[in-house]
Amino acid sequence: MTTDSLDPLIHVPARLRILVTLAALDTGDTLSFSRMQDMLGLTAGNLITHLRKLADAGYIRTDKSGSGAVARTSVALTSAGRTALDTYTASLRNLLDGL
Amino acid sequence: MSETDDLDQGGRDDDDDGVLEPGRAAELIKQTQVRARREFDTSSPIAAVLGAAVFLFGYGAVWWSLRDQQVYTGPAGWSIVVLYGLIVVTGIVAWRLFHRATSGVGGRAHRQMEAAGVALLAAGVAAWMVQGALRYLGAGFEIVYGVYGPTVPLIALAAASTGFAASLGKWAELCLAVAIMLVAAGSTFFGPKGAWGLTGVGCAVALVVYAVVVTVRFRRFARS
Repeated sequence: MTTDSLDPLIHVPARLRILVTLAALDTGDTLSFSRMQDMLGLTAGNLITHLRKLADAGYIRTDKSGSGAVARTSVALTSAGRTALDTYTASLRNLLDGL
Repeated sequence: MSETDDLDQGGRDDDDDGVLEPGRAAELIKQTQVRARREFDTSSPIAAVLGAAVFLFGYGAVWWSLRDQQVYTGPAGWSIVVLYGLIVVTGIVAWRLFHRATSGVGGRAHRQMEAAGVALLAAGVAAWMVQGALRYLGAGFEIVYGVYGPTVPLIALAAASTGFAASLGKWAELCLAVAIMLVAAGSTFFGPKGAWGLTGVGCAVALVVYAVVVTVRFRRFARS
């Protein structure tokens, strides 16, 4: 068995940690960009890149409030993202059981 | 605040995370879950132990100053200072811990916390208003400040907490609130000394047990 069964979008350390962190919140809850950056220890540019890829796939939703110097972005896991993460962890478990 | 959290700005296209082995991925998931749970959890054992100290030493100080009174004349000034000093210090620490856990978190959980805050405030204000009314209507100091004071506002706050704990499925918090209500209610049968002494010891024990339960629960989760 190979890692081909794992969602390649999620099977990247930074994006996996982003989704797991968001999944720790209750459904519908959001996390601010700055708190997420603080928790994950990623640079702003790196985090933005990963968030954009996850958002493009429909796994997360981002909301921006304010503008200019006081712009705040919050991020939430979508139901598709939660399902994708559940599927990923189930596939990972199967993969590890098969080793 | 700097403009670092604008997703419209260009981000570095950095996918250079190397090959992720399945075992490492599972480890990463567990580490991240543990970290997230520790960061977001509002059930703080530290705050619970500090709360236990308020009951044990704060209520204990008032009980100590009342213990030899054959006729109720009220607690000594120093004991009130100890009680409220501990309440203020614990309140500040608990608020900082709570703020750290909920910082940056929005949505339904945030609104639930706000609603819980309003309910707790209303319960406390209502209980203290009744205390004022009792004194206004001529009830004695022994009842108003000796029995009602250390117990009924506490029961009101715990009762408000039970509703939220039950609705959120926070069973440890529900058990803690119920224990506090029962201890405080039961202690009223023993007059001012019993109200301060038994409530102090009983609630301190309940909070220490709660702190142990929360700590064990987290360690089990981290090891699972």
